[in-house]
Amino acid sequence: MSAPRTVIVTGGSRGLGQGIVQSFLDAGDRVATCSRSETDAVRAWQSDPQYAGRFLFREADLADREQSTAFVKDVLAEWKSVDVLINNAGVARDGILALFSDDDTDTVIDLNLKATIHVTRQVVRNMLAHGGGRIVNISSIVGLTGYRGLTVYGATKAALDGFTRALARELGSRKVTVNSIASGYLRTEMSHGLDGGQLDQIVRRTPAGRLGEPADIARAIDFLVDPRNDWITGQVLVVDGGLTA
Amino acid sequence: MNEVETRIVAIITDLLERSDHGDLKVTADARLHGDDGLGLDSLETAELSAILEDELGTDPFGAGLLPETVGEVMAFYADQAAASA
Repeated sequence: MSAPRTVIVTGGSRGLGQGIVQSFLDAGDRVATCSRSETDAVRAWQSDPQYAGRFLFREADLADREQSTAFVKDVLAEWKSVDVLINNAGVARDGILALFSDDDTDTVIDLNLKATIHVTRQVVRNMLAHGGGRIVNISSIVGLTGYRGLTVYGATKAALDGFTRALARELGSRKVTVNSIASGYLRTEMSHGLDGGQLDQIVRRTPAGRLGEPADIARAIDFLVDPRNDWITGQVLVVDGGLTA
Repeated sequence: MNEVETRIVAIITDLLERSDHGDLKVTADARLHGDDGLGLDSLETAELSAILEDELGTDPFGAGLLPETVGEVMAFYADQAAASA
């Protein structure tokens, strides 16, 4: 087995993030994650002896720059360097734009985009100092196709894909790869404002015939962060059961 | 040179060797950028900033300064040491 990597997964306490954290822990890696509040999953990881010394959790609102900075500093103080960054933290607010509040716009952009850029900037500096790394931004097919009622959310995800491409160009010569995964609709992500009828329609239109699971995304991440895959960068990998094919 | 200054020279020398510019001599007078100096580009400057912060706990670029010579980088740390003495 290869040496354990140090991995940061933002927003890893529930849903997709929880699945990603579990995947890296199962692989034997050291994993740091944060969210605004502790969950049962976090408490289980913290108390499980098999994860002792290789799981770190901090309660932090990443949209708050001081808390975000403190989180990354804590990880570096504990493990010195970061090999893999998974930018998963995100929030969705649904509603047609004409009725959307400015506060909701700020909430979505502050976390999905500005916080992601801030965390990435800090981690990139560490990767530059330590000779490379892997960055995966969790994007969404909503950023590619658009979805009624998710305009601001879709805008942040499209922007994240642009961020991926530009950063990949900046860092390609320094052994840092940067890719996006445009996730389709997951069973665990029903909070994104989709009701039962909409989800049934999505399943009917999905060639794979089901909603996604966190493990579907985690396997794609595992592929992109594999040390051997240093010739894939600046790409958006769509993982959606074929919905957008 | 004191310990910190020696470390700064070593860091910049390593950086230049990785960029195939290992033939350039790092002195306090050397300019960091441009053809008449060490020729660091923006990404190499970012690397220098990150490595200095990683090894010395802080760095002049992160503090909002734009040092133009190796000596100005050294002076940043000398000023810090003097302020904390």
